Amino acid sequence: MAKFISKTDLLAWLEGLMKERTLAAPIKEEGVTRFAPVKKVADIVMDPGATDFSPKDWFFPPSETLFTVSKADGKTVITPRTMEKEAILFGLHPCDGLGVALMDLPFLAEPADASYAEKREKTTLVGLACRQSRPECFCTSLGSNPFDATYLDVLLIEAGGGYIVQSKTEKGQKLLASAKLTESNVETPAPPAVNTVPVEGLVAIAPHVFNDAFWTRLADRCIHCNMCAFVCPACYCFDIRDYVGKGGVVERVRSWESCQAAGFTKIAGGYTPRPTKAARLRQRFYHKFLYMPKQLGSIGCTGCGRCVRVCPVNIDIREIITTMQKIGAKVAVGAP
Amino acid sequence: MPSARRSPFIPHTARLKESIDLTPDVKLFRMELEDEAVRKEFQYKPGQFAFVSAFGVGESPFGLASVAYQNDAVEVAVRRVGTVTAALHELEPGAIVGVRGPFGNYFPLEEYKGKNICIIGGGIGMAPLRPVIRTILDNRSNYGKLTVVIGSRSPADLVFASEYEGWGSQPDTRVELTVDRGDANWKGRVALIPAVVKEIHLSPENSVAIICGPPIMIRFVLVELKALGFAPHQIVTTLEAKMKCGLGKCARCNVGDKYVCQDGPVFSMDQIAGFLEQF
Repeated sequence: MAKFISKTDLLAWLEGLMKERTLAAPIKEEGVTRFAPVKKVADIVMDPGATDFSPKDWFFPPSETLFTVSKADGKTVITPRTMEKEAILFGLHPCDGLGVALMDLPFLAEPADASYAEKREKTTLVGLACRQSRPECFCTSLGSNPFDATYLDVLLIEAGGGYIVQSKTEKGQKLLASAKLTESNVETPAPPAVNTVPVEGLVAIAPHVFNDAFWTRLADRCIHCNMCAFVCPACYCFDIRDYVGKGGVVERVRSWESCQAAGFTKIAGGYTPRPTKAARLRQRFYHKFLYMPKQLGSIGCTGCGRCVRVCPVNIDIREIITTMQKIGAKVAVGAP
Repeated sequence: MPSARRSPFIPHTARLKESIDLTPDVKLFRMELEDEAVRKEFQYKPGQFAFVSAFGVGESPFGLASVAYQNDAVEVAVRRVGTVTAALHELEPGAIVGVRGPFGNYFPLEEYKGKNICIIGGGIGMAPLRPVIRTILDNRSNYGKLTVVIGSRSPADLVFASEYEGWGSQPDTRVELTVDRGDANWKGRVALIPAVVKEIHLSPENSVAIICGPPIMIRFVLVELKALGFAPHQIVTTLEAKMKCGLGKCARCNVGDKYVCQDGPVFSMDQIAGFLEQF
């Protein structure tokens, strides 16, 4: 027997939750699916496939004010931005749950990023299992799978005209208290098959591939649009700038940044330690496949395939992994 | 509770006590943290750095140029090179700035006790070396010979020039000055820093070399030190990198599996040799 919720009851449950909480879910605007607060449940894209942008937008938005600085009675007053209401992040797939867990690694490492930590604590993750995989999906190679509930508070698996409901966390169960769940003997469908990519051993082999000419060849076609980093659920580079608003109130704003951008490492006086496209492209993959595992304990990729879909010049992370393994294997045995 | 957690991005407010012209484009900022408790807690060691905010323009990282034990003001030397530094240069005493830090590791001066110390600084690179020199001179008997090689583009660009005589008059201490180009009043050496390192024949025996300066200077000083017989572990430098957070999060200063802001900025040359990437 499994816990079950009908499609109508699911929407009713979400609608009820919206009275007290912010509901962020996949919506489609101008052809782009992304996670954003919804005004009514009818706007939710219920079978989003993979959203164009990842749910990191909720915790680490493209641009956010960290705090404001104003003057009051001759004193400088710094006011941090805080989150008013609790929230539900709905409709993320299991690989995106892994993405949130990866994002936690840098942002919750001490000293924790206060605004991220607050959002994380006040948000409950309600995920949707994948009905089907896409050709560019490779989540199983990164330790997740289409029905993986590990990083979610609630997982919904579509079956028998509704959803099988799984929840192992306190947060999830608390949220489900208001849901009209029934006991059902509907059978759990088989998860969709997912393509695989040879990730195993990549961390060990990566140092041997660092100086290969392959990176230059690949980077020659990169137009450093940065989209790979922006859609990535695990890319977390950022920039911080000040803006002055009404009444001279200063906003210190954090925005997404990408290691692919030419000025990313440029220091005062003009020196740029990573001046070439090849060095920057390589940095992105070494950060994911070597530095993140060494610093934070995990490869910085979920296998969601978003970067594969979005890249205008077909730079393909699956191909890169496969090529690194091939070159690395040759170097390792000393072959020419 | 996270709501009670202080955001590590929020700076402490500080009052600019003085801004002193060191060169035509470098000012020394002497800042006093406003909150007394913060002032007491703000302890740091030579080599560490802090972010200074010009509110409304932005914040940038600077090597701390003062020694914490004097505790009268937090000092940074600011060269006017970009928008934040230009805004800082415009500030008058009494202005409120933001200070966030201290961050990073430091020069392991405890380990250097009993050793001869060679300090090689180019231009604004002298800023994080000044507290090293002060600490050694204030504890003079703990260290061997102290040689300080200071260079800049021109005589007017020598930072902390008013302090050199005081340093050089201490026992077992010599200060070697050089400029890339002299002027009408300059009677001293006109040479590049690496040439001076070669000329004065620094001895590697029981010695440590501490370098800070522009990347190109560091590169050629390393060549000379190597020729003199310095081993990589005897050479220490402080790396400059683009930074936005100082917390190991923004990933701007990531080089190999290190973050310059947390694992550095002080690295020995044998550590740097282990980086996959030249930085």
